[in-house]
Order: sequence, then structure tokens, then C-alpha cells
Amino acid sequence: MAVPSPRLDPQSRLWTLAAAGVCLLPLLLQLPATLGIGIGVTALLVAAVSWRRALHAVVRVLLAMILAVVVLWASHFAIGRDTGCALLAAMLAIKPAETFSLRDARSLLGFALFAPFATFLLDQGPLSLVLSLAGAALALAALLRLAELESGDSQQPQSAWQRFNLVWKLIAIGLPLAMAAFWLFPRLATPLWGVPERTMARPGLSDRMTPGEWVDLLNDDSTAMRVQFLGRTPDKSQMYWRGPVLWNFDGRDWTQPSWLRAYPPAPVRSATLAWDYTLEVEPGDSRQLVALDLPTAAPDGTDLTQDYGLFARRSLDALTRWRMRSSPPVAFEPTLPPMLRRMALQLPAGYNPRALALGRAWRREAGTDDAAVVQRAMSMIRRDFAYTLAVPPLGRDAVDEFLFTQKAGFCEHFSSAFVVLMRAAGIPARVVTGYVGGYWNKLGGYWQVRRSDAHAWAEVWLPGRGWVRMDPTAAVAPDRIYDTLADRASASDSLFGAAVPAPVFDVTDWLRHGWNDFALGFDANRQRELLGRLGVNDLDTGRLVTLFLLVALLAILWMAWLTARAERERDPVLRAWHRMGQRYARLGLARAPHETADAWAERVRLARPSLAEGLRQLSLRFNNWRYAGHRPGREATALIAALRRHRPGTHALHGDSR
Amino acid sequence: MPLGARRTGRRVAARLQAWARPRHPETLPVQFDRRRVYVLPTRFGLFFAVLLLAMWLGALNYNNNPALMLGLLLAGAANTSLLTAHLQLTGLQVSAIDAEPVPAGATLELRIHARADPGRARRGLRVDAGDSSAVLSLADGNGQATLTLPTQRRGWLDLERLRISTTRPLGLARAWAYVWPDAPLLVYPAPEAHGPPLPEGSGANALARLRPTGDDVHHLRRYRRGDARRAIAWKPSARRDTLLVREYEQPVGADVVLDWRQLSGIDYEARIRRLARWIDEAEREGRRYRLELPGHPPLGPGSGPQQRHACLRALALLPAIDAHA
Repeated sequence: MAVPSPRLDPQSRLWTLAAAGVCLLPLLLQLPATLGIGIGVTALLVAAVSWRRALHAVVRVLLAMILAVVVLWASHFAIGRDTGCALLAAMLAIKPAETFSLRDARSLLGFALFAPFATFLLDQGPLSLVLSLAGAALALAALLRLAELESGDSQQPQSAWQRFNLVWKLIAIGLPLAMAAFWLFPRLATPLWGVPERTMARPGLSDRMTPGEWVDLLNDDSTAMRVQFLGRTPDKSQMYWRGPVLWNFDGRDWTQPSWLRAYPPAPVRSATLAWDYTLEVEPGDSRQLVALDLPTAAPDGTDLTQDYGLFARRSLDALTRWRMRSSPPVAFEPTLPPMLRRMALQLPAGYNPRALALGRAWRREAGTDDAAVVQRAMSMIRRDFAYTLAVPPLGRDAVDEFLFTQKAGFCEHFSSAFVVLMRAAGIPARVVTGYVGGYWNKLGGYWQVRRSDAHAWAEVWLPGRGWVRMDPTAAVAPDRIYDTLADRASASDSLFGAAVPAPVFDVTDWLRHGWNDFALGFDANRQRELLGRLGVNDLDTGRLVTLFLLVALLAILWMAWLTARAERERDPVLRAWHRMGQRYARLGLARAPHETADAWAERVRLARPSLAEGLRQLSLRFNNWRYAGHRPGREATALIAALRRHRPGTHALHGDSR
Repeated sequence: MPLGARRTGRRVAARLQAWARPRHPETLPVQFDRRRVYVLPTRFGLFFAVLLLAMWLGALNYNNNPALMLGLLLAGAANTSLLTAHLQLTGLQVSAIDAEPVPAGATLELRIHARADPGRARRGLRVDAGDSSAVLSLADGNGQATLTLPTQRRGWLDLERLRISTTRPLGLARAWAYVWPDAPLLVYPAPEAHGPPLPEGSGANALARLRPTGDDVHHLRRYRRGDARRAIAWKPSARRDTLLVREYEQPVGADVVLDWRQLSGIDYEARIRRLARWIDEAEREGRRYRLELPGHPPLGPGSGPQQRHACLRALALLPAIDAHA
């Protein structure tokens, strides 16, 4: 039974390694650049060195261990989703060193198919999608090649083109079943096990802000989310997408006190005006969600914090959709508890003395009029400050440096300095981060918020009014904040970041949106929605499984029909002739395989003269058609009709006897 | 315990074998319809299934749709490959088998002829019988495979079911169908290796025969298989660049009579083997011979392939038990 697995010939080996390489590529692109390039180069080297002879086992083990340590070191020995993926990539890179038999090649291909899967856990962009599908198709083609090798018919290998053609057919015929499973298979509303977070994160909105570090984020024009308003659309200057609220300042970083999450949302008196909208949030690294200032309630699966930050209960590592309702506040937490007040006034001792002095001076001059202090700060900033992304790194007293020397910066600097000034003047204040504005995609009819729309602003607490949004950056550069003009639109999230005209940009994002709608964002909720639209309401899991099985059965029946059809006689005349023969077979007068049509007709006539009036004539016509004429056309059609009509015992008086 | 488990496994396998179609020998040609084509996953197919399951579970857990789609597309393709493997066999017609009879102990070359609609490529089908296997590839709707089967006993060869299988296209599943041809395959008795020479013939019709030994060189002819080495004329052969054999003319005795009853001294099977050798020898020497067997009309006299076949066939089909016992 234990037959040694056949050795690979060079061509099969090439196919296998190429397929594994293409599968690995999208995963490498998702890893940090140095790690990705390192693993890729290792894979190429290993494949080249071991082309003729397997690497020694000791070398292989050593190589595997080194790569594993390097990967762990690169992720600071934290085990996360990306660490796991990088380890998978590293092991795949070494596997060619021992791939010499058919079985090795198959196991390599099997594991290589996990690479696109792992890629999707990290990223679901178009490039990953295309590369992964190409890798999977190539892996199937390599499997075809291996099966050819196994069958021993390698004299006439198929061309690459034939192989891809066959792969395409395999996938296309399997498509109905796959689609049925995709849309109908019950989705998990809650995960079975926790999703490990990424350890090598890219910059984004988070619970920490260090003024000056957002430069990369503000240059990242990829889409963060898409918004569709269901009724009234807010004014552009009202589109503040509220994210993490930062209270604590240590002179360098603004951070969020995590214990505030445990408290219920603060009381808010809302305006009668309300906006209903859906958010389609692109995958990110954290659980932080944003909502239009201020959300009235937390949608299912999210939690609203005391300061109206919104957190998803599961990691947002795949595309998600949220239905929300927001309303501008009339009075946001009109009474501030003393503890929060203390927090909102806290300043690190010994930092930014000039800013503190200025704030205290303003307070002295304004007396008890908080609003006057705020106005003074705003007018100072509007008058003396400029907006720029090119800010040199600031030193220890960053706020002082910004306020009194640089006098230029971007939202992080403005909001940070503003809050420090306010706190120095005794006005409770905090930093709010999130996005602002959006880009109207005419084609798709939705608003598109990009990562570069990230923004930081301030909230000050004024007696009677509660928290009031103040945006010092907007005071300096309103066009920069509420932009979404054609110039910004020309940048894109295309593959190469090259400038493309706005319509192309619209179309690409619209296609992406459609793809999201169609496939990426599909989950338990959407499934219910889809079935609801088809008139199937409140399906429980059991019924859903039944429905899925039903559709799967249909797909399989379709396949069975394909098989049945494949073995039938191709010639319609012969088919009709055989079918007529079966009718006689039921009477025990089957035509023997060796019998000619004439001999059979004669035998039937002798056996049961009453039965076979028309049979002789039919067999004559059949003979003539088959051995004399044999061309399709009217004659053949008439013969087929006559054969079909003929029943043993019918006296063929109508039409047949010409 | 593993031994017991293996035994149970073998029993189950044997039960399944007995259950598979066809259950009786059948006359050729046989066309495979879908009811007799079986498809089961290979070991690699099972591995692939586990892999896909892991993928689905992960994708469903993370609600990661592209990953799920990838897994489902692969599963769809794998499922279609089962169908494709099935289609490789359905509609295939095993039209005939044939084999030249060989002496027992030699390997029989069984040729299997297959036919199918040329519309579908059917390549790399594997034909198995026992331990031997061959590749059957159809080109333009026709194909042929040659199986080498070991033979042990003279007589009719009990041909077991032939399995025609394929793991293409993806190697995930094996589709197979059995064909059990009811075709007579004869195995001649094995001739004994050494023994006494041909009995001299008796009778009136003594003729001049060409023999490889004798006194007068008659002529040179081409070498045939079985010619004695000393009969080769080396010098003329070298000149003509082909092996030539001297033939002598010598009057030889009349027809040889190979009589079963005259070999009473030896064992039953040994007699058959000796007669088989004598037949071959008489053929080689070009002499006419007659075979007399108990319960048989005498065969011959005559010579040539037909006479040889008739005689060896009669010998091969002698009942296996000792008739004298």
C-alpha cells in the first residue's frame, strides 16, 4: 500500500514553486517592508539553492528557527494576527527546500493556499484580492500538473493555456454552489473565539495622540469609511465625526482614560434636528468607531462611553456596516461632576510655563466670562497662526514652542495648544479626535471619508451650555478642513498613489463600494436583510440551513444532470432509435447488440406480427439515413419525429407511411 | 488492536468490493454508465477537505468575506473536480481485450482496447489488475493499454476485474470503474526445460526435410528465433550484415507421434510439460506431428501455428487432477 511517492520532474516543480510564490506574494506585501522583503529573498534563495538537491535537514531546521526568531523579534515578541501570518510566510519560504516528491508538492500547495487566506485577515484591498485569486488559480493549475504526473501520461503534457482554461471551468461550474453557500450559509453573529489583534499597527485614530505624529495619516488618501445619509444631510461644517476623546496630558502625549468607558453616557439635551445614516467602515486596527457629533444611541454591537466615544465589541478587522442616528447637542453634560472637572483642568507640572502664564493672564482680564477667554484665544489663533504639515519636531515644552515660536502647525498642534491654554485659564477642556468633512461621490451617491480627513479639535465646557466644540484649526484654514475640492479628489487610493482625474477616482471608489456591498460587508445582518427583500422573513438558523441545503441540492442536481447528459448519445437520430428500441425491450423484444436493424425488424415481425407494422419501414428509413445519406436536415428531423412517435403496436398509418 | 482493525478494514473492503458493479463477468464491449463509476476522495483530497474546513471556520469566525469566498471557490472547484473525474470515465467503452497465449510462468501481455466519443479528452487513465498497471490514453477516441499479467497455471486464465481509474484533474478524488471481461485467455502449459529428444517418427512418408544439422548444405536463410547458435553462418552473416543460418538437407523420419500413453513412467503434469516441449521442438525442426491424448481425437498430423495452438490448447485444457488416480 505504501507506494513511494513519484519524484517531481522539473516542470512540475517549477509549476508548484511558482504557484506557491504567487500565493505568498500578497501576504508578503502586507507584512512590514523589511520583513516582507527578507522572507521573499529567503524564499527565492532557498528555491534556487535546493533546485537540484534537497538542503540538509540540519540546515533546514536552522533556517526555520532563524526565520521564526527574526519574525518574533520584528514584532517585539508579541503574538498577534500579523505575527502568525508572518510565521506562516516564513515557513512557506523554507518549504521548497524539501519539495521533491509528488506528496511534498501537494502538501506545499495545500499550505500555500493558506497564504491568501492569511492575507485577507490582514487586508481586503483590491490588490490583495487580485493577487490572491491569481495565486489560488495558479495553485489549482499546479495541482492539475501534478495529477498529470501521477497519471503517468506525461508524454503529451497540456499547455499552460489548456490548464488555465480547465481551472476556469472548474471554478465556473462550482460557482453556483459556492455562491449559495456564501449567501445562505448561516453566519456567526458572535465569534467563536477571540480575534488576535495586530501587533504591528499602522497609524490611525487611537486612544493616544502625540502632536506632530499624524503627518503620515494626513497624507494617506485611502478611504476610511463611506457614509450614506438616509434623510437630511448635515452641512459640511457640521460633519465632525467624533472619535476618541483625550483627557490626560503628560506634556507630550494626550491619552484617553480607559476607566471612563465603564460609565454611562453623559446626559445630553439634543436638538430636534437628527441625521440618520449608515457607515461602511473599512477594516482598521482598533475597535474605535466614529459617529457624527453626537450619536443619540449606540448601535447593536457597540458601546458608547461617558464622553460619547463609540467602541465596537469586536475588532474591526473586516469591513463593517453600522446604522446610526446623530443629533447636534443643545446642552452636552450641563452639569460637570467635580471629578471630571478636575480631570478636564489637569495640566502636567513644570511644562509650558509661557502658555500657562498667558492663560492665567487672560483669566485675570476676563473675570468670570469664560466665553470671552475662548473668543480671545480663537481670535489670537486666527490672527497670528498658519497651517502647515511641515513642522519641525518640537522639544520639551512643545505647546510653548508652537504658540510663541513656530506659530504654524496642523490640527494636532492647534487642538493641543488650545486645550492647554483653556485649562490654564481654568476652563475645563479636552481634545477630541476623529474625522471631519467628507467627499461627495456623485456616482455612488455617498460621502467618502478618507484617512487623510483625520482631525483633532477641542471641546470646552461652558456653564449652562456644557461641552462646546471649538475648532482652532478651522479658524486658521477652513478650506483645508472642509475641503473635498477637486484638488483633493485628484489624489486617490489607487495602487500606485498616482494622481488620477476625479471621475476615475469616483469610479474606482464606487466600484470598491459596490464590491463591499456585494461581498465584503456581508454578515449576519445583511443576510437577514437580503432574505427579507426576497420575502423570507425572520429565518432562524435551522430554516436557514434547510434553505441552504435546498439550494445546494439544486446545484448538485444540476451537476448530476451535467453528468447524465455527458454520457448520452450525441447523434439525435441514433438517440431516438435507441429509445424506440427500449420500448421493444420492455416487451422482451430487445435488439441484440450484434443484430442489424433489418434482422431485428424481421425477427420482431415473425415473433409478433401484430406489433410491428411500422417497424420494418422505420428500420429501412433508419438504414438509409445512417448508411446512405447521413446528413442532418429536414430528412433527419422527420425521421427523429417518426421514431419518437412510434410505439409497438401502433399501426403507423398517420404520416409514417409515405 | 491495529492488526484487528486492519483485518476488519480488509473485511469491509472485501465486502465493498463484492458489492461494486459489475458483480459478474460480462461480454465486451462494455460502456461505462454513471451507475458503475465510483468516486471517492484520495488521501490528498481528505487533507484538502480538512484545510478547507479550517479556512471556512476561520473565515466565519472573523466574518472575513474574502477569505470565506476563497474557501468556497476552492471548495466549488474541488467539487467540480469530482464531477470531472467522473466524466473521464462515463461514456468510455472497453471494446475488446486480447492476448497472445503464453506458457505458464511467463507474463501475459493483455491488451485492452478502449473507445469513446472524441469530444472529451480522456488521458492518463490507469488500468489495474492485481499488482500490474498500465496507462490508457485516448487519442481521437481510441486508445490501447497493455497490462502484463503473471501466469501460474496452464488452462484458462481467471481474469479478475480490471479497474480503470483516474485521479485527474486535481488529484483530490479517484474515480474508478470495474470491467470484468468474459474473454477466454489461454495459458499454455510450461514446457519442461530439459528432457529426452523427440521420439523418432515411424511410417512410410519419410520426406526430405530441411534441418539445422546434417550433411549437405542446402542454402542460407535468415535467422529465426530459436535457431541453434551453431547453425549460424558467421562469415556470410558478417558480409551481409544480417544473421544468416545454414540449412542442411537431410532425409528425416516420418511424422512424429506424440502419444500420451507412451509416457506412462512419469508424473501427470510432467507428461504435459514434456509433450509441450516436444511440440515446440517439432515446430522448430519443421516436422509434422500428431498428438494423441486420452479422451481426445488425435490432433494432426500437421505443423504450423494452427496445429501448435490446437495441440497446446488441448494440453492446457487437460483436467487438472491426475486422471489415473
